[in-house]
Amino acid sequence: MSVAASTLERSLVRSRRRAEIGLGLHVLLFVAGAYVLLALAEGPTLPPDLPLFAGFIAGLYVVLHLAIRRFAPLADPTLVPLMAVLNGIGFVTISRIDIARETNFARIQSTWVLVGVAVFVAVLALIREIATLERMQYTIGLAGIAFLLLPLAPPPIGRTINGARIWAKLGPISFQPGEIAKVLLVAFFAAYLVDKRELLTRGSRRVGRLHLPDPKHLGPLLLVWGVSIVVMVAEKDLGSSLLLFSVFATMLYMATNRSSYLLGGFALFGVGAWIAFHTFGHVQTRVDIWIDPWSDPQGKGYQIIQSWFALAAGGLGGSGLGLGAPDKVPYAETDFVFSAIGEELGYLGAVAVIATLLLLVGSALRVAVDSRRPFNRLFTAGLAVILGVQSFIIIGGVIRLIPLTGITLPFVSYGGSSLIANFAIVALLVRASDEAARRRLRA
Amino acid sequence: MNDQVLTILKGCLLALLYLFLLRVIIVVARELRGTPVAATPAPPPAPARSADTGVRSDPDRAFVLTVREPETRRGEQLVVRGEVTIGRGGGCALALPDDTFASNLHARAFVRDGRLFVEDLGSTNGTMVNNARIETPTRLRKGDRLVVGQTLLEVGK
Repeated sequence: MSVAASTLERSLVRSRRRAEIGLGLHVLLFVAGAYVLLALAEGPTLPPDLPLFAGFIAGLYVVLHLAIRRFAPLADPTLVPLMAVLNGIGFVTISRIDIARETNFARIQSTWVLVGVAVFVAVLALIREIATLERMQYTIGLAGIAFLLLPLAPPPIGRTINGARIWAKLGPISFQPGEIAKVLLVAFFAAYLVDKRELLTRGSRRVGRLHLPDPKHLGPLLLVWGVSIVVMVAEKDLGSSLLLFSVFATMLYMATNRSSYLLGGFALFGVGAWIAFHTFGHVQTRVDIWIDPWSDPQGKGYQIIQSWFALAAGGLGGSGLGLGAPDKVPYAETDFVFSAIGEELGYLGAVAVIATLLLLVGSALRVAVDSRRPFNRLFTAGLAVILGVQSFIIIGGVIRLIPLTGITLPFVSYGGSSLIANFAIVALLVRASDEAARRRLRA
Repeated sequence: MNDQVLTILKGCLLALLYLFLLRVIIVVARELRGTPVAATPAPPPAPARSADTGVRSDPDRAFVLTVREPETRRGEQLVVRGEVTIGRGGGCALALPDDTFASNLHARAFVRDGRLFVEDLGSTNGTMVNNARIETPTRLRKGDRLVVGQTLLEVGK
């Protein structure tokens, strides 16, 4: 490396890591402030565990920061602060719901955050090059499909909870393997598309005016289509199915630059969904409630109607933390965390959450654009699409823009599997952005 | 606790959140500006005031280069008007006697048609603009970073 490049590298490391510290202090101030406000709603005393709470957040942030300094010093400075602020808002909201319901989700969530940070550090320490994932593509692809289908294994491994068969129990640990599967499948898909993109772009057969690729190259894509239909039908997990399919259709489009894949992909999904709608009761129920929640206000429409009341009660500025009634919405700590935020921090708070998610997706896409290697570009773009589409599906469902399908809001919702998978996603983005900056400096 | 106080505090909290987003956007803007763009080659020497360069054509326009590295010289400024030289030799407008990686006459910065350019003068270790080594005279814009030897300069207004 030239001397000039190393000079530039040192200055870049310093400015990026300083920005990360500055934004981190801001996150700490905001989250601690929110925690204090939550306690003030009860009475005029500070929360007794405030030092512990602030120390916990600060400690974890320092661990993340030091891990980046050690393993990926040139990484983008906005990824971790954005993740931290979403996580903080989520944690305070979950604590809030705990107070109302006398549950103990926040304590469990804090354990998951701890595990998430450990996973983040481990991913950075173990995966020193994104290309490692590319070399292991078939192992990763098989592992991804295995994880995805694991909940369908007979009990005691696969279990049905709340009507969806998305849980697996291995030994003492229950988790949702689908959350891990989505990251693995995106890695596999990126590697596959990089290999085959020429073949998929040009197409070797003519059907009328269309150039179609050889069917054998389409095999894996149809396999993914089949798998996502299986997920929808057998696991009754509409959200994950839609997420997987959108991510793959988008990646196919990004790799080939042919919008026909995007249209064709969604048409294919539409056909699958239409058949599912007419064949399976649970799909029909979701759509019926989407069209008219008032058809069953005390039953199936209850949740979405309560969520509306919550958002309406919040208005522009919200009721104030601890002053609303977000516990009236079933599953306010997971699927409906957005309406809990919308009630107590209002439209302004809800929009800020969406803006934060957008900035996170934007930073992830910047990593993709900065990367030179095709696999890195496609993989990081795929991760960005996961975060974005997942947020869209659940927020859209909660505000009744699209039929509700229960998945988590990244970093905000309660839930260990999702949190850990999302920490891993950001760790991979951090790794990729460090690599991109390094390659640029040494070019 | 008094409702009004709580409402004010809630407003402060929301303001804090939006301020955070603003700060992130500022960091992103800085990142984007620092991202290397394809080096723009210098235009052929044009007549000083041709009609098509319009109002931006100002041969007397001055630019400032500020030292960012090394720490000992941080903040030092070099005003570029017409043409200046940068190098280890004492005769340069910006002399870098302590920078052993800079050549005696390393690079020159010049203003043409109201625009700032830099050109490497056959130095040993090369001149870099925004992470990329330059081969031809290269346009510098505000916020661009220029490296000569171990010295980092940032383009000001």
